[in-house]
Amino acid sequence: MLDTIVFGTVTVLDLMIFALTILVAFVISRIVGIYLKKSLSDHIQKTELAKLIRVVQAAIILIGVYLGLPSFDVHIADLLIVGGTAGLVLAFATQKIASNFGSGIFLLAERPVKIGDNIRIEDISGAVEEIHILSTIVRTDDGVYVRIPNEKVFTSDIINYMANPARRFEYVLRIGYDHDTALAVRVITGLLEAHPYVLAHPGPAVFVSALEESGVQMKVQGWAPSPVYGMVRNELLGSIKSAMQEQGIETPSPRVRITGGEW
Amino acid sequence: MDFCALIVESVYGSSQYPFNRQFGPVSVSIEPSGNFSLYRRVQPGRTVEKVIGNREGTVVVNPVEPVHLPGEVTGMLELHFTPISLEPESSCKIYLKFPVEIGVFLQGRGDGFDVLDIFSLARPRFSLYGTPERGLITRHADTRVYDQVPATDPLEEGVMALSVKNSSRSWVEVSRAVFDHRNMHLYHGEMVAMTAQMEVFSREVAETRILARAPAEGMQASVRLFSAGKSFIPEIPLFLMEYGVGE
Repeated sequence: MLDTIVFGTVTVLDLMIFALTILVAFVISRIVGIYLKKSLSDHIQKTELAKLIRVVQAAIILIGVYLGLPSFDVHIADLLIVGGTAGLVLAFATQKIASNFGSGIFLLAERPVKIGDNIRIEDISGAVEEIHILSTIVRTDDGVYVRIPNEKVFTSDIINYMANPARRFEYVLRIGYDHDTALAVRVITGLLEAHPYVLAHPGPAVFVSALEESGVQMKVQGWAPSPVYGMVRNELLGSIKSAMQEQGIETPSPRVRITGGEW
Repeated sequence: MDFCALIVESVYGSSQYPFNRQFGPVSVSIEPSGNFSLYRRVQPGRTVEKVIGNREGTVVVNPVEPVHLPGEVTGMLELHFTPISLEPESSCKIYLKFPVEIGVFLQGRGDGFDVLDIFSLARPRFSLYGTPERGLITRHADTRVYDQVPATDPLEEGVMALSVKNSSRSWVEVSRAVFDHRNMHLYHGEMVAMTAQMEVFSREVAETRILARAPAEGMQASVRLFSAGKSFIPEIPLFLMEYGVGE
């Protein structure tokens, strides 16, 4: 029964093996699809995810067909010659697309950025708006739409300002020698502790960091949640300046000592 | 003293509008304005106004999960308290104070609620639980440890009854507990309260959960922002503290 020839040299058994191979490939593609959907749904847009899943599923089924072909007496070696040549031509024609696609896959796997992150890639900085399979869309700080090919994203140094939950800010201030540094420390510490977004743990620190010729150097350090870091840093700098002025604590003007001989 | 002794008339609850109520220095009102109603919150230095598309309805004002103000940067509440040492395989019940935020909701015809406003009389502070690389931003509050229900101003503070169990084989000093807003259930009577459990497995790891159970009979369950916001994020039964239970 299984040896019955259907056409050419292909038997019922060959057909059954081929059908089984395709069925297994189909099941694997479905499982991979479900896995990709679960693991990537938070990191990539739905439409892009659907495209990616379709491409991956099609590739798995094609591999299944490829593996099942020997049962039809089609030899892989012959296909490799034909497929290899065609593949070479295609690869040259689409190498950039393939490179961007591959980079997109690796970016999704590595996840150095996610939608909403504030990042800098080379000279482009802004918020990640969309992550596609071939490109990443960034809205710069002044509202400009920038499409960056994924190959560039993947091979460049990425600075992600939001990857960690908190960031530290630091100011370096100078006050004159005739002003009360203890008062300055108290005033600035009070401002830091009153600001809701300056973290209580790790707590802020204000201290004298150097005694310089032009004045006493002080450092102000604190931590803020990454999403509001810029706002906190700017707000506090203005508040510190106003509070220091109110207390009569001034930043000394730079001093230049000129020495010379006869005029 | 137990929670039961403190249930009298609540400042919270539902009302028909037009309505007007004072919450400390904050005045909240809904008054008719033409074919609509005007919601107004007046507090020193700030007034918030919103238009409601009808003249009559039900408004609910109650304490909500204290993680939304001044902006939503976290969903975690972290209570820092006086260190308490627990011997191996022992447990104890302590009372802690936590900050309160107040939610104003409009009640729909069904069971649905819409968040109209959130305000707070408590001063918000934040903290980092864990490391700057892998930790979590938390809404931070310092509190003493009480052996019985402390007196509180229900507009600013609530009381958490926390059962702490040390399941480890060594003494553990506990001085912080972190809770996820996705399992936060608040109740109100004359005071605001939560019932929580904390199981300590080591100095580094503990599990916390807030029970959906009124601390005393007669206390009302608060409308939660988490469920009123129609979030698709699933509710979680517990939170795993992985970055320590002490300083």
